[in-house]
Amino acid sequence: MATTMQLGINYVDGDVSYTVTPADFIIMDLTNDYLIWSKTLDDLMTHEPTPAELNAAAEIIDPSVAVTVTKCLLMDYSHNVGGSYYTHLVKGMGENKRYPFAFIFDAATATEPQLEAWDTSAHSTTNKHVLGAGTPANSMAKAVCTTTSLPGAGWAGAAIAGASNVLLLNDGNGAIALASNLYANLKIVIPANYSTPAAETFVWTVRYTYS
Amino acid sequence: MNKPLFQVIFEDNTTFLGGDYECTKWSEIPLKKIRTLFYLLPTGDYIGLGGYQRFYHMIEVTKDLNGDKAGIKNLEFDYIIGQKKDCTIIYQIDLKTGCINISTIKNDDKFLTKLNPEFWR
Repeated sequence: MATTMQLGINYVDGDVSYTVTPADFIIMDLTNDYLIWSKTLDDLMTHEPTPAELNAAAEIIDPSVAVTVTKCLLMDYSHNVGGSYYTHLVKGMGENKRYPFAFIFDAATATEPQLEAWDTSAHSTTNKHVLGAGTPANSMAKAVCTTTSLPGAGWAGAAIAGASNVLLLNDGNGAIALASNLYANLKIVIPANYSTPAAETFVWTVRYTYS
Repeated sequence: MNKPLFQVIFEDNTTFLGGDYECTKWSEIPLKKIRTLFYLLPTGDYIGLGGYQRFYHMIEVTKDLNGDKAGIKNLEFDYIIGQKKDCTIIYQIDLKTGCINISTIKNDDKFLTKLNPEFWR
């Protein structure tokens, strides 16, 4: 059968892998769940955040220093983990942690899976400000592969945007030979004094192969 | 009835039929010398490939983690890679347009070292 991939979100401890403690992860329902990048939005909200709440909790551009968006939260549509909670903080996002995001493959792949970022599901452009406004190397979406090691304190990560600026999820070691859990840490870094405030959505995409 | 994704004819004149995009049966191909590989194109025709020492096959998919098509597996490309003694030919089949892009690389190309060796036939 074709290899399938699920995304696991660590909501307990960014130092603990899915392999060791699957219960620390929520498997995203990719049709209904989504990630929220925010400065102050609350963990464990008991309702889906409204646009007004999202705007009020937005990160603020700093005139002199680059700002890493403070929080990433899973919006859990089913709200059935640990109580009736719609938001769960992604533990370890942007920190020196290996296991905030787990890419769970149920079988071998034919090449190395990779993470990409695009304006839309058409996978054709990267013109949004968050993706570098047409210059992928300037993308604010940063990622580091943590499948084999910690990202390091103050990790910079690779700018992710388009077909060339991607993140290999097996640390460049090629295809996975059997069912495997791969890991990455992600963050959004807004450049100092960025001139265009915006509320933007973009698409994270995983590209992989099977035989 | 859907057409099989591929048909293999071995040097001993036996054959093997492939499955579909979801269950290709590629890894079930017996480990013996392939004489000719017929592979299904999006047009419904088959491309016939022969004269190779061995073949590799893969289907490239994308899955969006968010957005309007989140969670849907999109078939992007099919690849048939045929290796000869002195070079390797890559047939990249665009599953949306049907276009085939053919490229040649050396047998010691780094790309080949990153493939899953289990899928060579």
